[in-house]
Amino acid sequence: MAGDESWRPPRPCEDYRWEWKHCRGLRHAFHHYYAHGELPDCGRWRDDYAACRAWEKDRTAAAREALCESERARVLERQKHGAVWALRSCPPPDWHRPLDRGAAK
Amino acid sequence: MEDGKTASPPGAEGGEEDDDFGYRLFPDRNKEPQSFLVRSLFTFHNRCQIVLCQNNIRHQSHMNRVVAHELIHAFDHCRAHVDWFKNVKHLACSEIRAANLSGDCTLMNEIARFKFGLKGHHQTCVRDRAIRSILAVRKVSRETAEKAVDEVFDACFNDLEPFGRIPHSKTDAKRAYKDFLNRDRYTANL
Repeated sequence: MAGDESWRPPRPCEDYRWEWKHCRGLRHAFHHYYAHGELPDCGRWRDDYAACRAWEKDRTAAAREALCESERARVLERQKHGAVWALRSCPPPDWHRPLDRGAAK
Repeated sequence: MEDGKTASPPGAEGGEEDDDFGYRLFPDRNKEPQSFLVRSLFTFHNRCQIVLCQNNIRHQSHMNRVVAHELIHAFDHCRAHVDWFKNVKHLACSEIRAANLSGDCTLMNEIARFKFGLKGHHQTCVRDRAIRSILAVRKVSRETAEKAVDEVFDACFNDLEPFGRIPHSKTDAKRAYKDFLNRDRYTANL
């Protein structure tokens, strides 16, 4: 995490507001229900937006912690299922070449 | 897009759906000899290209989807050690992601295929299309394909890179690009 003085919210506060408003919209609710079988939970975006604004106004440590915790939890949720494949550090040098069926990956 | 003399899809691949994939992945799956001009995604012949079958793609939106689908495979090839030929789970994972993120499984596309469903139907579609794709390019049984898809489904359905979200619309796509531009700030301040 960045130092105390240089830290700023991971996203601009306006982004949190946008995500919250978008989440509450009918179109997103429909897409979420179609994709996941349930309606979205938008409270988290609302809380993040509130924490972001609170930090902007007062620079409180509580607001900063709340925001960081929430974003880290989002990242962990994505990673909770484990990886199917090992990630590369850079693309293969022959990425543009025909695949070699016999070569081990 | 190449104007290729593409062979018609084999009868066994037609199945209950009218649409072909609109592309060829691996020519060896087809029963008839391949035309010289029929190429798979991964036989570039020294040029970077995605080959599309123009005789099976009749709408711009279909072409957009197919290109997006193939680009997701290309993205996976570049970012991970994917064993396309020997590991069915790796192939299944990429097919799940491609079906999930390319727009293949929108409600309107499914309705056009006469497949109806609403609650969580996107996942049903992704699963089914991933299995179909595996069967189209690999000589494996349906049970093997289904097992591979089931085993990796949760991990791969929730792997939304590079978008960070399922892009249901242009708005979502633009937002995903905005998040991409913001990625350095995001990781630095977690």
